[in-house]
This record gives sequence, structure tokens and C-alpha cells, in this order.
Amino acid sequence: MSEMERAHIAPVRIGSVDERILTERQERVVNQRRDVLFTVEDLTVSYAGVPALKNVSLDIYKNFITAFIGPSGCGKSTFIRCFNRMNDLIPTAAVQGTVRYHGADLYAKDVDPVEVRKRIGMVFQKPNPFPKSIYDNVAFGPRILHMRGSLDERVERALRHAALWDEVKNRLKASALSLSGGQQQRLCIARCLAVEPDVILMDEPASALDPISTTAIEDLMHDLKQEYAIVIVTHNMQQAARVADMTAFFSVEVDQERDHRTGILVEYDTTPTIFTQPADKRTEGYVTGRFG
Amino acid sequence: MSAHTLDLKNRATGDKIRGRLFYALLLVSVTVGFVLLGTLLVDVFRKGLPFVDGILLTEPPSAVPERAGARPAILGTIYIMGLLLVMAVPIGVGTAIYLEEYANREKWYNRLLELNIQNLAAVPSIVYGILGLAFLVRGLGLGRVTLAGAMILTLLVLPIVIVASREAIRAVPDSIRQGAYALGATQWQTISRQVLPAAIPGIATGSILALARAIGETAPLILVGALTYVAFDPTILGPFTALPIQIYQWIARPQEDFRLLAAAAIIVLLVILLTMNAFAIWLRNRYQRRW
Amino acid sequence: MRVTFQEELDQLESTLQEEGALVLRALRGALNALVQQEGELADEVIAFDDEIDAHYLAIEEGIQSLLARQTPVAVDLRLVLAVLHMNLHLERMADYCVTVAKLTKLVETTSPDTTLLEAFEEMGARAEEMIRVALDSFAERDLGAAESLVELDELIDRGNRRVVQHLLSLGSDPGHHEWGLRMIVVSRCLERIGDHAVDIGEQTAYLVTGEFREFTDASH
Repeated sequence: MSEMERAHIAPVRIGSVDERILTERQERVVNQRRDVLFTVEDLTVSYAGVPALKNVSLDIYKNFITAFIGPSGCGKSTFIRCFNRMNDLIPTAAVQGTVRYHGADLYAKDVDPVEVRKRIGMVFQKPNPFPKSIYDNVAFGPRILHMRGSLDERVERALRHAALWDEVKNRLKASALSLSGGQQQRLCIARCLAVEPDVILMDEPASALDPISTTAIEDLMHDLKQEYAIVIVTHNMQQAARVADMTAFFSVEVDQERDHRTGILVEYDTTPTIFTQPADKRTEGYVTGRFG
Repeated sequence: MSAHTLDLKNRATGDKIRGRLFYALLLVSVTVGFVLLGTLLVDVFRKGLPFVDGILLTEPPSAVPERAGARPAILGTIYIMGLLLVMAVPIGVGTAIYLEEYANREKWYNRLLELNIQNLAAVPSIVYGILGLAFLVRGLGLGRVTLAGAMILTLLVLPIVIVASREAIRAVPDSIRQGAYALGATQWQTISRQVLPAAIPGIATGSILALARAIGETAPLILVGALTYVAFDPTILGPFTALPIQIYQWIARPQEDFRLLAAAAIIVLLVILLTMNAFAIWLRNRYQRRW
Repeated sequence: MRVTFQEELDQLESTLQEEGALVLRALRGALNALVQQEGELADEVIAFDDEIDAHYLAIEEGIQSLLARQTPVAVDLRLVLAVLHMNLHLERMADYCVTVAKLTKLVETTSPDTTLLEAFEEMGARAEEMIRVALDSFAERDLGAAESLVELDELIDRGNRRVVQHLLSLGSDPGHHEWGLRMIVVSRCLERIGDHAVDIGEQTAYLVTGEFREFTDASH
């Protein structure tokens, strides 16, 4: 009888194996993280003295797609605009804290915002092609930055990179506004790529597009991240789930006395973690759609 | 009982009657305007058309109606319009760019500037004439020359150019500017390569409106020294006359024929005006295609 | 379109097929150890289970991540759910192989009963065939092949019944008691492996037709 008891017939316990496999997996993700591209330290952005976003600290990694998600008013668009100093264009905006790009502080006194924007490109929510030809749209950047080399080649390369070349190669002189919404957005991406940035910031790039165009843009992002770092803001968290490697969840803190709504960073982790076992209850409330 | 019958029939309610009355009033105003204008035009054309010929266009005025032409006046008007264009458009567009793209609205001097522009538009044209006489003819010592006339008319129409240009610049969507900045363009590159080209239709329209306003101005020109009887071709820094003045001068003559000549000169003036308008419309359409 | 998503689905499926191949190897090992009464081979089979568990975990995690991030619908969703269930069935099959190996070690010293061993070889071969059919019919999305698993299972079930009867007919020799009970468990393990293969076939049918359906009721 004793031998029978010893005969282990119940399902195998996989305790020790479990830990080993899980640790291996996490190490794989960590090793995938390339260099740190941006380091944000204690960033606070205010409009006319009212803080819109406060005490944000995180790192953005090269060759990753990083998504900022959160309810409206949580400051994610404000945050992404800090990376290329587009907030400078708003007179009432004030930025405190540090944003380091390759180690250099972007907001140092002697830094020229124009120089910053040459290296950090941006694509906007509503496609905004210039009222010029397709060619002139893509060529605008290289022209104003006096980039050397064949302009035709640059334009073709950028359009190929943006998966638009085949559709427009025979009508480069046509008006950019004759393209469909999805094509216009890809044109804006091509325009951005033509100046050869390191980083592409995308503020809700597909929210104005239909589902097929959205999928095309998302596939494009996967291709682009081989060469660029991509940071996107999206209010569509399923998009963040599909596309992003790292996800940052922002939420809103309400100051009842002064009637201020300020954005804060709640959680920042790999996307699978955010969508399967987020550490913070607020994150979980948001991604499960139970957020108030 | 809730027998719900559907009654969709047309009925004369108070609102409907008021609506129809309003519509009738609108038609009356349109008719009155057109009828008055139409009568004037028909009268002018009937009287003046036979007199529009080579003599009118190429000969200087004379005491004899058969030999009288309006050549100095036509040239004078064309010179003044040309100088006006060269002066008013750059100053006006430049002011508009400054106010829309560079100026900080909070600053007192910018607010003062905006106020002054509005004031300029309200000044009666004869006051411009006095101004011109005092400061340009006598003060600067220019004398009673074409240039002085053009300069004073520039001041007169500047508000029109500024307002139209500002509207045109404001109409350029901010998303275009953002797109240009995001690519690393400087402010000037953005303005010169994106904003201005897109604003050209509006600026062109504004400029033509300015010219149209100026072409008929008589009082300031007289005060600045336009002569009523000029038998030689005017020059920029010499004595001059203009079509409105010539028309006025002919109407004042007793002979009936001179009045008919005046009608003919009016036709010439209208033709110049319509040509400029047509050019403006063409320019606007050519650039608007892009949008 | 959605290239990465498709790659992830393909990856899941190929990992599952790999796991299936590993289960076949484990079964072959367990059968050989049983029939040839080789204790060392049985030890290898037991250790080999770690590899199968690694695949099992990889698939579990992959499915969790995929469901959270890609929100699959229609045939994609059915595929993911089918793989989830098949994964479990394969893992259970592997566990039964381990059980057979452990029992083989316990009866190492007992002299073999040729009839029984022949029966086990037969049942084992059937089970191997069923696993292959189950995996292939899934790969090919072949409904007919999946449904054929029911008949194959019938053969194993008969084999199991014959084993039981044979053991009963051996009489009540006290030395044989323990051994006999253990052999019944071995037979039961092989029979359960067959059942799990049928379950895999049912998942294939679900994937293809969209219906949750048992191939047979419990009365067979």
C-alpha cells in the first residue's frame, strides 16, 4: 500500500518550473530594451499658472513604441508636446523639470527649439497636409533645412518608408488634398520621415481615420520602429494594446478647492503587464472600462 | 378618445405671413438697388459710348470737344494706381503679418496700433487731402506731384488692405503652421512659405478693393494739387491730373458735348475698374484651386 | 494587414504542434519503457515532462497576452480558445505518460505477462495514431479526420476492457495483487490519453464549425 501512496498519479505540480520560465520571459523583455532615448524627470507643465500635468518621470526607449493612454484632460497631449518643444508655441505654457534627449536637457537656456524639432518629428491627429502638391509636401522639410543630396531621392525614400509610394508615384504633382484621409496621414508621416528624425511623436494619429486606414497606420508603425522610436498618444486603449511595447497610464487629479484638474502618471510598464495584471487599481479600472 | 388625425395641410399662420412679408421687403431692396444702378449705367452708356474712341484715349484735352481727349487723365490715374499698389500692398500686408503672427496682443503698443488702424478708416477723405497738402506738398517739400497724390491715397486705403490681409492670414488653418513648425521651420520660413502663399487670394482681393476705392477719389487729389486742365503727359514727380478730376472738369463746362465726353470718360473709368476686378477674381481662383 | 497579430497566432499554433510532437515522444518513451521494462528510460520520460510543461506555460502566457492585446474575434477567437483547450489536453496526456513511467518503475522487478504487454503495445500504438490524427486534423482544419477519432477511441476502449478481463482471469494470486492494480491504472492512463485526443478533435470541430459539440454522449 505504501508504494501505491507514493505513486504520483495526480497532475504534476509545476511550481519550480513556473518561476524559472517566468523569469526567463521577463529577462527577454528587459534585454529587448535598447538605449534610453528620453529621460523625463519631475516634469510639470502649467498653462497660465494652472498645472495641467505634474511630477512626471519616465524613460522612453529606442526602437520601442511607447503609448500614453488615459481619460481626456489627463495631459497626455500636453506631455507629448514637451518632447519637441511644441508647447513653446503656446504663450501661456510653462514647463518645469527636465526632459533629457540623449542626455542633453532639451529645455536648457541655450537650446534652440527649431534644432530640437529637426530631430524629433510629429504627426498630428487630423492629417494636415500643406495645400501644395504631394511632392512639395514631402520636399518641404528637406528644402527648408537645406539638406544636401538629390531631393527626388529623398522624396521617394520617404514615401516608400511611409508605404505610400506605390499609390502616388504617378501623380506626385497632384494636390495633396486630393488624397483620402488615410493617405493624407501617411503623407504627413512621409513628410516627417523626409527630415530623418530619430523619434516620431504621434498625437492620436488614427483617431480621424476609418478602421482600414487605422490598421494600415498601425502596421506602418510596426515597420517604422525598426529604425525610429515612436511615441503615441491615443484615447483608444485597444490601439495601445495592439501596437505599443510600453504603455504609460495617466489619470486626472482634481483639486477641489481651486477647481483644478491636473494630470499625473499612474503606471508605466510593458504593455502585456498593463493589460493583464496592472499594479495600480486605477489602471485596472481604466483598461477594464469601469473607470467613471 | 385619442383619435389622432394627421393634419399636414398648408395654413396661413402669423409666422408664415411675417416670413413672406420679409421676403417681399428683401426683393424690394434688391430691386431698388439694381434699378437705380441700372438706370445710371444705362444713361451713361447711352450718352457716352459713341464718344469712346481713339481721340478720347490718345489726345490731350482741348477747348474744342471734337478734339478733346482724356489722355493725361488716363495716364495720371494709371500712374497713381501703380504707385498705390507698390506702396499700399507691402505696407498693408507687412502690418497684417506683424499683427497676426508676431505681435503680442497684451502689449499696449500693439493695442494702440490696432486702434489707430480703425481710426484711419473713419477719417473723411478730404481730411487726407489737407494732411497731404500740409505734410507732403509743403512739409516735405514734394510739391504738387503725382507721388504726393499716390501717397495720400495710400494712407486712405491702407486700412482696407490691412483688414483684408489680416482676414486672409487668419483664415489659414493653424494646423498648417503647426505642421511646418513640427518639421523644424523657423517662424519666418513658416510665414513666407506656407502662410503667405495660402493667404494670397484674400490679400489680392483686399488690394483690388483698395484700388477700387482709390480710383474714384477726387477731393484729396485736388487738395494735393491735381490740376483740372493738363495738356501734357504727367510724370511721377511732376504736375498731374486724374480721370475723376477730368470728368468733373468736363461736366462743369457749358457745352453739351463736354458732358457727353464726361460720360465717355466715366465708361473708361469703369472699364479700368472692371479689368482690375477681373484680374483679382482670376488671381483668387487660380490660387483657390489648391484648397 | 495586422502582420504581427497573424505572426503571433502562427507562433501559438506552431508551439502547440511542437508540444504535440513532444507528447508523442513521451508516449513512445513510456510505452517502450513499459514493454521492455527499462527503469532508466522511464526516468528519462519523467524528466522530459519539464520540456512539455515549458511549452504549456509559453502557450498559456501567449494566449493571455494575445487576448488582452489583440482582441481577436470570429475565427481568430475560436482558434485561440481551441488552442487554449488543446494545450490543456496535451499537458494532461503528458502527465499520463509520466504516470505510466512511474508505474513502470514500480513493477520493474516483476516478471512480465506477455499477453498484457502485447495488449499495451496495441493500445499504445492506437493512442499514438490518435494523437497524430488529432494534431494533423487540427493543422489541416479537417473536420472529417477529427470526427474519425471517435472510432479510433472505440478501439482503445475495447482494449482497456480486454485488459481488465484478462487481469480478472488471472485469479487471485496475492503476489500479483499490487501488480494487477497498477496495470489497471496503466491501462486506464492509455485509455484516457485516447479520450483527450478525441477532445482535441472536438476543439478542431469547434474551430471549423463554431459549435461546441461532444462527438458522442457518455453512454458509449
